[in-house]
Amino acid sequence: MKYLPFVWLNLMRNRIRTFLTSGAIALAISLVCLLLTMPAGLNAVLKEFASGTRIVVHNEAGLVYPMPYSYLNKVRARPGVIAASSWTWFGGTFDVDEGVIFPNFAIEPDEIGQVWQDWKIEPAQLETFRRTRDGALVGRGTLVKNGWKIGDRISLSSTIFPLTLEFNIVAEIPNERFPHLFFQREYLDQALRANGGNGLEFLGLVWARVDDAKRVTPLLAEIDAMFRNSEAETASETEQAYISNFMGQLEGFVTIILIVTSLVTLCLVFIAANTASMSVRERAGEIAILKAVGFRRRTVFGMLMSEAVLLSVIGGGTGALGALGLTQIIRSLVGGWSPALGPLGSFIVTPAILVQALFLALFVGMLSGWVPSFGASRRGVAATLREVF
Amino acid sequence: MIELLDVSRTYRRGAEEIHALAHVTLRIERGTFVALMGPSGSGKSTLLNILAGLDRPDSGTVVVADQKLQDLSEDQLAGFRARHVGFVFQFFNLIPVLTARGNVELPLLLTHLKKDERRERANTALRIVGLEQRADHHPNELSGGEQQRVAIARAIVSDPEIVVADEPTGDLDARNAVEILGLLRDLCREFQKTVVMVTHDARGESYVDHIHSLDKGLLIDPASAARASR
Repeated sequence: MKYLPFVWLNLMRNRIRTFLTSGAIALAISLVCLLLTMPAGLNAVLKEFASGTRIVVHNEAGLVYPMPYSYLNKVRARPGVIAASSWTWFGGTFDVDEGVIFPNFAIEPDEIGQVWQDWKIEPAQLETFRRTRDGALVGRGTLVKNGWKIGDRISLSSTIFPLTLEFNIVAEIPNERFPHLFFQREYLDQALRANGGNGLEFLGLVWARVDDAKRVTPLLAEIDAMFRNSEAETASETEQAYISNFMGQLEGFVTIILIVTSLVTLCLVFIAANTASMSVRERAGEIAILKAVGFRRRTVFGMLMSEAVLLSVIGGGTGALGALGLTQIIRSLVGGWSPALGPLGSFIVTPAILVQALFLALFVGMLSGWVPSFGASRRGVAATLREVF
Repeated sequence: MIELLDVSRTYRRGAEEIHALAHVTLRIERGTFVALMGPSGSGKSTLLNILAGLDRPDSGTVVVADQKLQDLSEDQLAGFRARHVGFVFQFFNLIPVLTARGNVELPLLLTHLKKDERRERANTALRIVGLEQRADHHPNELSGGEQQRVAIARAIVSDPEIVVADEPTGDLDARNAVEILGLLRDLCREFQKTVVMVTHDARGESYVDHIHSLDKGLLIDPASAARASR
C-alpha cells in the first residue's frame, strides 16, 4: 500500500494519455456489460410473452411454407384443445418498396379471446372486431409508433397477394410490446375471390390453447403424428419454444456482436499494452534509478503492473457503472418497454455482470501490463544507465 | 572497506569487444574520499558500477562491506545496494512526479519505517544538504545545484556506508560544482562515509584523499598518479 501514492502519481504524469486509454477501456467494458444483459433480458421478455398452455403448429419445412386450411379444424378437434386460430401472413405495407414495417396477419376472429386470454383485449372492442369485416385489431406498439387511434382508416398493400386492402381500426391489444395487426381472414378471402382467384386456401400457423399444461407435450406429438406423410408435415411446439427459436436468430446476432466485442477487447489489450510500453520506455532511466537505489525486480514489476491494472480497473469500473446507470435510466423512463427502444428496458446490469466486467478489466490490465513490466524489471541497471544517460 | 582483486570486465558493442577493465586491483579504506579519474572510455564508470553492485565483473573478486558481491543474486544485490550504497548521478536523475522530499524518501520505501519516520528522516537529509525549505518543490522548480543536493540527500537518507558519485559536477556551473564537492567531502569528514567519485573535474583533486587513475581499463599506480597530479 505504501507504493500506491507513487503508482498513482506515475499514472497521472500524462493525464491525457491516461484519460484516453481508460476512456477506451470504459467504452468497451460498458458495451460488453450491455451485451451481457441481453440473454437475461431476452428470457424476461420470453417469460412475459409466452404462455405455457399455448401451442403453435407450423410447416416442418419452415415458417414461410403454408399448410392446408383444413389443418385448423383438425387441430381444433384434438382432445384437450379449447380453442384454435390461424395466422396467415399478409405482408401489408404502405410502400411495397419499403417493405413490411410491422407484422400483419389474417386471422379468425371468433376464438381470439380464448386463445389469447392474456392479451386482455377489451370485450367490447373484441366484439366489434368480430362484427366488422374490414376491422383491424392492432397492437399498441404499432398504434403509438404510427400515431393511430381506434376509428382511423388505413390502407395496406400486400407483398404476398396482388391486393391493397383498407382497414378500419376497431380494437387494440393493450400492450406496447405488441406490434401486430390482425384482420379477418374472411375479408382477405373475399377480396381474393373478387379479384378472380379461388380464395384463401392455406394458412401459415395454427395457434391453439390447451386445457392443461400436462397435456401439451403428448398433444404436440399427436398433432405431428396426425400430419405425418401428408402434403405438409408439421412441426408443433410450445409458444415458449417457438419464441425462443424465433429469438434464437437474435441470439445468433448477439453471438456475432459478442465475437466482435471480444475482438474489440483484444484490440483494447493491445492499446493498453502500447500505453504501458510507452510509459515504461519513457521512464527507462527512472526505473533504472529505482533499481540502483535498491528496488528489487519484483517490486518494480509489481509497481508497473499495478499501474496497468489500476488504469484498466478504473476504466472498466467506470464503464460498468456507466452501463448500470444507463440501463437504470432506460428502465425508469420506459418501465421495461417502449416502442422506440423495444425490449431494452428489460435489460438490467446485475451485480454478477458488474463483477464479470471488473474481472475482465483486471484481465485486460494484467495482460497489457505483463510484458512491458516484466521486460523493464529484468533489464540490467548498468546497461540502461549507459544507454539512457 | 572496498576491495577489488584482479577484476576484469569486457562487454560487446555490436561485433566489437570492449575491455572496460583489465585485471584491476584496488583497495579503498573506510571513511575516505576517493576520486576515479581518467579519459573517456578508461573504465571509470564501469569500475564504479562494479564496486557499487550495479554491474558484475567477468572475473576477479569484489568485496564491499565484508560481502563478496559475486556471490549475491540480483535480488540480494538490490538489497545490498539499498543497505550499503547511496548513488549520485551526473544528471541528478530525480523522479519528476515527486517533490524533493518524495525523492529523498524513495529509498526508505524499502525499509519498514512508518510514514512519519520516513518523512522525518527525509527532512533530516534535506537539512544536511541545506534544502529543507525546498522540500515541497518538484525537481523542475529547482536549480541544477539544488537538484544535485536533493540527489545527495537521497543517497544518504538510508545512512549507507558508501556513497558513489558518477560525474556529480558534470552538469553544474563552477559555483555549484564547488558546493557539491564540499558537500561530498563533508559527508566523508563529518559522517564517516566512504565516498567514491568518478570525475573529469580537476577541482575535485583538492577535495579528495586519494586519486585512482585509469586508462584503457588499466589502473595506473596511485603513487605515480599522485606525483603526476602534484
